[in-house]
Amino acid sequence: MSRLSIFLLLTVTASALMLVHSQYETRRLFMALESAKKEAKRLEIDEDRLQVERRAQATPLRVEQIARQQLQMRTASPAITQYVSISDGNVSVKGSQP
Amino acid sequence: MSRSVQLSSSPLLASKTPVWRSKFIVAAIALGFMGLVGRAAYVQVIANDFFLRQGEVRFARTLSLPANRGRVLDRNGMLLASSVPAPSLWANPEDIERDPAKLRELARLLEMSPAELDKKLKDDEKTFVWLRRQMDEPVVKQILALNIKGVYDIKEYKRLYPEGEAAAHIVGFTNVEDQGQEGVELVFQNQLAGKPGSRRVIKDRFHRVVEAVGETVPPVDGQDLQLSIDSKVQFFAYQKLREAVLEHKAKAGSVVVLDAQSGEILALANYPSYSPDKRVNLSGEQLRNRALTDTFEPGSTMKPFAVALALEKGLVKPETPIQTAPGRITITGSTITDAHPHGVLSVNEVIQKSSNVGTVKMAMQMQPREMWEMFAQVGFGQKPQLPFPGVVSGRLRPYKTWRPIEQATMSYGYGISGSLFQVARAYTVFARDGEVVPATLMKAEHQVAGVRVISAENAKAMRKMLQMAAGPGGTAQKAQTMGYSVGGKTGTAHKQEGKGYAGKKYRGFFVGMAPIEAPRIVVAVMIDEPSNGRYYGGDVAAPVFSQTVQQTLRLMGVQPDMAVKPQFVVKSVEESF
Repeated sequence: MSRLSIFLLLTVTASALMLVHSQYETRRLFMALESAKKEAKRLEIDEDRLQVERRAQATPLRVEQIARQQLQMRTASPAITQYVSISDGNVSVKGSQP
Repeated sequence: MSRSVQLSSSPLLASKTPVWRSKFIVAAIALGFMGLVGRAAYVQVIANDFFLRQGEVRFARTLSLPANRGRVLDRNGMLLASSVPAPSLWANPEDIERDPAKLRELARLLEMSPAELDKKLKDDEKTFVWLRRQMDEPVVKQILALNIKGVYDIKEYKRLYPEGEAAAHIVGFTNVEDQGQEGVELVFQNQLAGKPGSRRVIKDRFHRVVEAVGETVPPVDGQDLQLSIDSKVQFFAYQKLREAVLEHKAKAGSVVVLDAQSGEILALANYPSYSPDKRVNLSGEQLRNRALTDTFEPGSTMKPFAVALALEKGLVKPETPIQTAPGRITITGSTITDAHPHGVLSVNEVIQKSSNVGTVKMAMQMQPREMWEMFAQVGFGQKPQLPFPGVVSGRLRPYKTWRPIEQATMSYGYGISGSLFQVARAYTVFARDGEVVPATLMKAEHQVAGVRVISAENAKAMRKMLQMAAGPGGTAQKAQTMGYSVGGKTGTAHKQEGKGYAGKKYRGFFVGMAPIEAPRIVVAVMIDEPSNGRYYGGDVAAPVFSQTVQQTLRLMGVQPDMAVKPQFVVKSVEESF
């Protein structure tokens, strides 16, 4: 066999092996990307779920109950509120004063 | 020395077999090769598509990409409805692993008795039974950890409603298939529901995705909806309404809070209500969105419209005296009476004292057409422009068929009907200086233009009358709030049953606005069949109005327009060093 033939045979074999390797590499990276995407989706869903949970912990009913019973708070009425209005940079305090 | 033997003359090759045998073998081999060539041609050329497809079936999978249903938000971006994953479990009775210990554990985690579970799995002809749908994720993980053969999970979503029963009638709910069934969930089903996408992938033998083939159709998530509802106002309104219905042993009640300037619905609640998360044994009573779907005769709450028309037509001025003695008036043989005879009243006082006779005397000077136009313009007999299931238009008969007695009774709210929502919206004509705005359930982005019905001056005059009605000497003193001036009209109507009026059954209403000089909100309250002694609108409905107004205006940051006696308690603290 001529030298050229041997050279070409080796080149073709190397190229074929490279192809196999890169195909393998592609699939491996693709899989990694897939699982990362899956994780992202999972975290997104988790965020939604936690938002709902946070909201459920802060419904007006619950806030009101805790404020009244545990913290001994009561609803603000105009009688115990100072209203501060800002117009053109002038701050004026109106309403009830202590 | 050995003797060489020529190959051709080797005795070993001196075959005695006939020539046809070798020819036969050659022919058989040739035939075999031809078979192979033929098969190759069949596979590669003729049935190529079939084999390609079969190959793909064995490694390519189509994955569906679920789309998320849009969320429902209130005007401040608070969640009213959102989807969370809730996997469902199913089993294949044909090949389920029947290990008693494991099945007992499974039944316990599914919260059902072992007998119930057995019943589900009994029929081993079946290949699919739901064990339980829409479960909590951690429980499903526990069950899958049991590793029972023949038990599988499917990803599904569940809708959660953090606001619960307070906003149930507005938000509605979806069924287990994520289809809207009631309320906003039903009306905006198309916008809320997403469009699932799909993609084709190649999986390896561990079911890992290794390659994507072809085009991916990305899922389109549903749109989020932002309503005009303020969840805090909604909650307070519902809570106060509930208290009032229970206190007065009433059958039901509704409350509507409108933003007087933009026509946005800030709150709309009904009692009895239901919890949209746990819908078991729901009755029609609970499901009814009364404020929108029930019509009733508005009674005295109609009077301001008749009086406003009288002002607009120049028939009377607010101070014009009207003789209402002896508290009776007869029109074509029928007698209309006042609850208490009053004598001479000014137009202002007719509204303040809610005199039927005074109102009728004004109404009888008008043309039926004028009255009809007035009522129609403020929305009676017209279907509200709300895309809601079961919204009713109420009843306003064509003026040509009105008899004089009907014209008279309509002026004080009998013989005409509407929903509480329609009444609330009609009152925006007084709150918005004579214009009505279309009501909306969506958060308004821009200033809306109203339609002028009466002049701004007359609207102001009407507000003054409404303020008197809620003030000293009026019918609705319990509507007063601390710090905010209010105005409104009570109504107490006999309930219509069949053809006549039910003797001892009433509806109490109150419709009003605050602060009266420049109204920000219109609130309408209806209490159905109060039966704990008191039934007047001023007694049963006005307190709900007062509390709702107080809370709503505080939440909106509206400054009180009336002087309030301060109640600051200053404790003197001795400083210690």
